[in-house]
Amino acid sequence: MLESADLHFNVDHGYLEGLVRGCKASLLTPQDYVNLVQCETLEDLKIHLQTTDYGNFLANETNPLTVSKIDTEMRKKLCREFDYFRNHSLEPLSTFLSYMTCSYMIDNVILLMNGALQKKSVKEILDKCHPLGSFTEMEAVNIAETTSDLFNAVLVETPLAPFFQDCMSENTLDELNVELLRNKLYKSYLESFYKFCKNHGDITAEVMCPILEFEADRRSFIITLNSFGTELSKDDRKTLYPTCGRLHPEGLRMLAQAEDFDQMKTVADHYGVYKPVFEAVGGSEGKTLEDVFYEHEVKMNVLAFNRQFHYGVFYAYIKLKEQEMRNIVWIAECISQRHRTKINSYIPIL
Amino acid sequence: MGSLFRSEPMCLAQLFLQAGTAYECLSALGERGLVQFRDLNQNVSSFQRKFVGEVKRCEELERILVYLAQEITKADIPLSEGEVSPLAPPLKQVLEMQEQLQKLEVELREVTKNKEKLRKNLLELIEYTHMLRVTRTFVKRNMEFEPTYEEFPSLENECLLDYSYMQRLGAKLGFVSGLIQQGKVEAFERMLWRVCKGYTIVTYAELDESLEDPETGEIIKWYVFLISFWGEQIGQKVKKICDCYHCHVYPYPSTAEERKEIQEGLSTRIQDLYTVLHRTEDYLRQVLCKAAESVSSRAVQVRKMKAIYHTLNMCSFDVTNKCLIAEVWCPEADLHELRRALEEGSRESGAAMPSFLNTISTKETPPTLIRTNRFTEGFQSIVDAYGVGSYREVNPALFTIITFPFLFAVMFGDFGHGFVMFLFALLLVLKEDHPRLTQSQEILRMFFNGRYILLLMGLFSVYTGLIYNDCFSKSVNLFGSGWNVSAMYSAGPASEERSGLALWNASTVRHSRVLQLDPSVPGVFRGPYPFGIDPIWNLATNRLTFLNSFKMKMSVILGITHMTFGVILGIFNHMHFRKKFNIYLVSIPELLFMLCIFGYLIFMIIYKWLAYSAATSREAPSILIDFINMFLFPANEASGLYPGQAYVQRVLLAITVLSVPILFLGKPLFLLWLHHGRGCFGVSRSGYTLVRRDSEEEVSLLGNQDIEEGSNQEARCREVTCEEFNFGEILMTQAIHSIEYCLGCVSNTASYLRLWALSLAHAQLSDVLWAMVMRVGLRVDTTLGVLLLFLVIAVFTVLTVFILLVMEGLSAFLHAIRLHCLLLSSKFSDDNGAM
Repeated sequence: MLESADLHFNVDHGYLEGLVRGCKASLLTPQDYVNLVQCETLEDLKIHLQTTDYGNFLANETNPLTVSKIDTEMRKKLCREFDYFRNHSLEPLSTFLSYMTCSYMIDNVILLMNGALQKKSVKEILDKCHPLGSFTEMEAVNIAETTSDLFNAVLVETPLAPFFQDCMSENTLDELNVELLRNKLYKSYLESFYKFCKNHGDITAEVMCPILEFEADRRSFIITLNSFGTELSKDDRKTLYPTCGRLHPEGLRMLAQAEDFDQMKTVADHYGVYKPVFEAVGGSEGKTLEDVFYEHEVKMNVLAFNRQFHYGVFYAYIKLKEQEMRNIVWIAECISQRHRTKINSYIPIL
Repeated sequence: MGSLFRSEPMCLAQLFLQAGTAYECLSALGERGLVQFRDLNQNVSSFQRKFVGEVKRCEELERILVYLAQEITKADIPLSEGEVSPLAPPLKQVLEMQEQLQKLEVELREVTKNKEKLRKNLLELIEYTHMLRVTRTFVKRNMEFEPTYEEFPSLENECLLDYSYMQRLGAKLGFVSGLIQQGKVEAFERMLWRVCKGYTIVTYAELDESLEDPETGEIIKWYVFLISFWGEQIGQKVKKICDCYHCHVYPYPSTAEERKEIQEGLSTRIQDLYTVLHRTEDYLRQVLCKAAESVSSRAVQVRKMKAIYHTLNMCSFDVTNKCLIAEVWCPEADLHELRRALEEGSRESGAAMPSFLNTISTKETPPTLIRTNRFTEGFQSIVDAYGVGSYREVNPALFTIITFPFLFAVMFGDFGHGFVMFLFALLLVLKEDHPRLTQSQEILRMFFNGRYILLLMGLFSVYTGLIYNDCFSKSVNLFGSGWNVSAMYSAGPASEERSGLALWNASTVRHSRVLQLDPSVPGVFRGPYPFGIDPIWNLATNRLTFLNSFKMKMSVILGITHMTFGVILGIFNHMHFRKKFNIYLVSIPELLFMLCIFGYLIFMIIYKWLAYSAATSREAPSILIDFINMFLFPANEASGLYPGQAYVQRVLLAITVLSVPILFLGKPLFLLWLHHGRGCFGVSRSGYTLVRRDSEEEVSLLGNQDIEEGSNQEARCREVTCEEFNFGEILMTQAIHSIEYCLGCVSNTASYLRLWALSLAHAQLSDVLWAMVMRVGLRVDTTLGVLLLFLVIAVFTVLTVFILLVMEGLSAFLHAIRLHCLLLSSKFSDDNGAM
């Protein structure tokens, strides 16, 4: 059954979809990882990466090579690709891509504010910001002292503005508030993105909604896990949970009452999707909850490529590429710190 | 037999390179381009090989060279070509070279950094002066406004209250001034307003000059702004916002004298900077000029060095680690050359122990090497486009030199067009050493590479054009037509009655639209035209019918001859590989199958041409019907080409039918018999010459042969798998091959009809072009006609070149390639070779 959207899809987005699928094909293979793990020095790593799609991206780096240099260059490469997609995209794909950048923008804003709290110079922190989420007004966030200040003065014209509706307050921005702000922003961002995908309908909704649901639930779990032993009250905690996941509403209510990891696990046991995820934690290889979540995410993103005519591939590609970069950085860190025992605990991309 | 007929005999040689001299030896080998190295370290990943360090060093040098070249092109200095292909640098010089280059790089980086810094400085100073100049007008305005505030301090206005309140607190008026990029002005102003809640006054003006952006180097428009604000805190915020928008902020002079002072100071500093900058640039230019002399040849040298180390990475070490062992494929004829290169290499490095080589026998298939010269190169590449022939197989390129242009010309028969093509190719051939041609790009390059093909194609087209008697779709009467129209008319009534033929008289000529010449009337047809088709056909209305019949038969004859030739080449292959059984069991049934059906068809065509004259043409049977009847055995065999036709045909059919089962089963059964009785069929041969990859049958013959010592794991594995004799598989392969062949014979014959179709299309197209363009031009009356004809000829030429020569030529070329590659090569070639 061909719907009309499928018929017209290639007119506007066919080129980019083809491109993104080509890019996905150039992700590192398991064999590449096997070779990378064998590297003795970062130079070796560089030589091996040259044989992959990364090509000569490190050619103009002067010695000595460091992990952060590799990381920046990889980010730059990703950013170039993404910008190319974005510059060639048409509505509604361009809105979709803008939504994708928002999460990086939130991270950057929070990073800068934390930096300002610790009295670090803006320049120093700017280097750490993710290039996908950079925007002009970003550097001025440290002017603000309260959240409403932040909104009114700095962010009102940015794409982040709509997400501020829940978190206008006159509290001064200390570290706890910044963290709360991040979670609230994320919550409304995810909900808004979810709504966008849902409204778009078609395959995009079918593919993206599960991914975003998982993303929301993961945040809920992580928030809960991080709030153990802090002064965050249970009611406050509940307001931070994104409500677009599978856990909503019953699971979130139970999660709000959870007091330790085991109680969290019992909540997850009610859900077929998350039960195996939590069961894999610990295990023989000592996986953390984060690792397991990443693995699950990779699986979902890879599956997104099995469908055609939808925007999810762009999201999935960027996420997979990010995971690949995390893997390379992990391997590079292990190599440079001579900490080879853990080098194999990267997340394989299927 | 020439080297083009078969690929060169190759042998596997082991080179024992002394560790000290390996580099020089390889350099000498590389310059000669004699051998192909085999990778002996396939399962070692690229960064674990022996000479990775050296490769890295080469990469570092390359990086420096690329940087140098970049700087040089940026400075607009021409790169000197230098030596086109200098030798790889000797090892002793490498270190020196590296040092030189590194020193140069450091120096260059420093100088450019200084230069950039100076430029930036200069830019800042220029911006500052601009700012001062522009803001002077702002301040004047401010001065005018200030008194008004003082005059009415008691005005009941919140803002003013605030103002006086702050004044009382000692908050002082502050200024921030600077430059901002044009695109950011609006957002900047909005943010200022939002953050400072209107406690600031922003004035800005566009700068009339565009200045460079120090970060990106683009030339863009700038705005000068002046922000006046109250109080320290707001000042902090304003400064932060300025940072955020990457404004260039400069201190704002508070008094007019100060401003003047600064301006004067600035202008002298700018002058100074200019001179310093000029000096630096001069120096930089000097450095770059010196570097430019050697950069391109250095780049070649480094690349060669890198290639040498890459090759060394493919060698393995012997146990004592003193010696590198390389395995190479080398043409047997070049072995002594190879030895000489090795000697030269060892002599150059002055090593005590010479490097030497040792030929080893192997069962692996050597790569196919066919030496070409500039003439055969093009044809060889046409053949290789379909598939590289197996080692020592018959190379069709030799025959392609003639058959390809010929088949092309059959489709492109027009000697006008052919001659133009020939001239174009001749031009390319005569100018082939011209540098603009050898370095040409894309399309011209394509023509240039195929210049000899084009030359022959043009020549053959002239020939076929003469046969078809076509020159830009018109016929040429060279020898005088063999037909005499007047004989038809002047014959008296007496003879008309005698022969019963329809002759013309005055009334027939006047009243009928179409007149027919009858060759059986004496004097009308005076014997055939000496060469090609009689030009009188150009006037005939049934010309197309005549040509169609002629061209169709011609293409069938050519096609079948071509395919038979392919099968015969297959016999040569089998003889060369000493597989006689293949000749008897495969090639001969194939030949019989082809000749008994289609060979007979040719016979019938030619027989009919010879046996029937104009007088008896009415009794001539249709070949098509006869050919079909050959398979249908009709009841009435009244008419036939010759007596006893039915019997001959039955015999031929029987042979055809018999050859099919032989084709299907002969080879598999023979191999099965061979497999079971191989003890008594003990052929023990040494050497690799008879073994070819992927063909089980020969390997099964060699099953009892010793496995060569030292052959690597891979070969051993293959040997093991080949031991098994899989009858079913052989049967399947042979069955598929046979079905393909039998069906192919029919469909390929039909496929050769494209010769007819394309030649027809070409003739018709040029005819249409003539009728639609040229004839129109020729019909206009004389006064205007000259001018118009001028235009018409231009149009005619353009259309002829682009449509008829280029487009039609390309399509004929493609079809000729198809006929060659698919229909000819598939008859005898395995195409399993590697280059």
